[in-house]
Amino acid sequence: MPVQTQCILSVKSPLGPPIEILKHIFPAQSNKPRVSFVTGLHGDELEGLYICHRLMQYLKELETTHPNAIQGEINIYPAVNPQALENSTRLWPFFSVDINRTFGPGQSPSLAVETSQALLDDLQSSSDIAIDFHSSNLHLMELPQIRIIKDFEKKLLPLAKKTNVDLIWVHPNADIFESTLGFNLNRAKIPTLVIETGICHRIHQDMGDQIFNGMLNLLHYTGTLNITPPSEKIKEPKQVQPDQVAMVQASHSGLFIKQVEVGQILKKGDKLGKLIDPVTGNVLEEITTSCSGLLFTLREHPLTHKGSPLVRIAKNLSEQ
Amino acid sequence: MKEKILTLPNPFGGDLELYKNTWGKSGEPLSIVSGLQGDHLNGMFLNSHLTQFLDSIVEGLDPHYTLTGQVQTFPVVNANAVQSGSRLWPLDGMNMDLAFPGNPDGETAEAIASTIWQHTKDSFWGIILQSAPPHYEDAPHIQTYKPDGRVKKMYRDLQIETVRRQKESSTQKVNLFHQWQDISSVILSAGSPRTINLQQCETLFQSILNFMKAEGILKDHRNKKSEHKTKTRIYQSDEEIAVRTTTAGMFLKEVKVGNYLKQGQKIGEVRDIYSGKRLEEITAPEDGLLITLRQYPIVYEKEPMAIILTAKKSWREYLSF
Repeated sequence: MPVQTQCILSVKSPLGPPIEILKHIFPAQSNKPRVSFVTGLHGDELEGLYICHRLMQYLKELETTHPNAIQGEINIYPAVNPQALENSTRLWPFFSVDINRTFGPGQSPSLAVETSQALLDDLQSSSDIAIDFHSSNLHLMELPQIRIIKDFEKKLLPLAKKTNVDLIWVHPNADIFESTLGFNLNRAKIPTLVIETGICHRIHQDMGDQIFNGMLNLLHYTGTLNITPPSEKIKEPKQVQPDQVAMVQASHSGLFIKQVEVGQILKKGDKLGKLIDPVTGNVLEEITTSCSGLLFTLREHPLTHKGSPLVRIAKNLSEQ
Repeated sequence: MKEKILTLPNPFGGDLELYKNTWGKSGEPLSIVSGLQGDHLNGMFLNSHLTQFLDSIVEGLDPHYTLTGQVQTFPVVNANAVQSGSRLWPLDGMNMDLAFPGNPDGETAEAIASTIWQHTKDSFWGIILQSAPPHYEDAPHIQTYKPDGRVKKMYRDLQIETVRRQKESSTQKVNLFHQWQDISSVILSAGSPRTINLQQCETLFQSILNFMKAEGILKDHRNKKSEHKTKTRIYQSDEEIAVRTTTAGMFLKEVKVGNYLKQGQKIGEVRDIYSGKRLEEITAPEDGLLITLRQYPIVYEKEPMAIILTAKKSWREYLSF
């Protein structure tokens, strides 16, 4: 059976065309785990849209060339916050609401909450595993990574290792996560990986392709796809705990001029960049690293306030 | 006394400054916070009105009152959002009330949240002033989660008719109100974002005055006993009804917040923007108090146009005094 498209929520708009959240269903040949891919919760994060595009293109072709390859249902939700995506804004612009803070119980009634509930219900009813793609915000560039809340580590770590990301960061729970899609799916016992890569408003094809390969590897691992695994070597992600992550923050406000790139292996004392005063022309701070390791987060937006994160480094184990 | 409690440098000069006002030195402090969202102007106005009032007392210009307790107000929390004329600060797009308890060494929002928390955590009472969510208007009311005896006393002292008991939500743990769980505290909500409603502010001003007098923070030398006895009604979260649209277009309201509605009473209607035709009539599904009403006329399907508080529970839910 070819791919089917379903509208999981349709809302009439004041000017006519409805807001619709679509799901593409690639039906299964047997009952292997059902995997769902979600992207676009934040309308300015486009990296996941590219990955989902590659997945859809691949799966459509697979249906023709290897009709028995899809052993578990695959669902792709390619644009779950349509109005924010159309406006390229993180928030749903009509409500100024971050829809990824509206999941979970007890939220006041609103269309945003209605929408997030419809998405959560649909994902819960049609997934055994879910992947939620995110880019970073306006300010930071992230190396492909998965952040896992400690409570969910046991279930998620084996899956995360198959995804071809550079880094897996296991950290304790924080209250702010409790209103996110990923947390609520995991709490509902649907293992959900939140993949973070790149930066908002941009598509980094190389990172997208890397994760696309990781997704095929994951689908092969779960038995959802009966295919030959990707020929490209799958990365063994660096695993870190909170005490293995060093964050450098700005101690002045100014413009950050970076002198490194994400993915670089740094040595203690390496120059990271400098903070300059845009008004006086003074250099406020030369920033160097106090540890060695993998640079996995880097400030891209130069406008920097005191306390803003500039870089995150996964420290070398030998330095622990 | 106006005191600067946080200074954060801006890249282009003009520091971000956070202030608090303090009156009185003895007694257990009452903290009043407004401006968590940059467009909640009713609260900011009310705090400025209180400042004027308390200043006149401590300067001896108001012979009727003496300040016997301690009050501190934080008129503007999300200063960047206020300066940019928006609910959130455009640079971080963060809801300030999801940043608590904050971090003194963190980013701007975290540093602000931490400062407010540190300055209020030893208060005996706390009041947060807010407006309705974007596009809505609230009738003046109290919001709370799990009231204990001390908080119920606050209702009585404030003499506000309506108390909404909110459901515990997935975001509440990062709200300022949640950090105040060991403080006797309430949220006072009234009005609409981006506007100042003087009448609603006056209602809340009188309530805070009632509270300060009842708790001995303020002494009224006229010794006048209030003739008016306010009955406070506590509504549980399952007594709220959201009345939603089934169409989309332009909503024209025909009632006001604070009205008691009869079942079937017209709240407003939705018209098609292009043809002007009426698409649907929005009516009250049950008798009840209209606590929240849609203000912004452009509406989508499935949006709440009104929230009505119904009276399912028995008379024992009333607090009479």
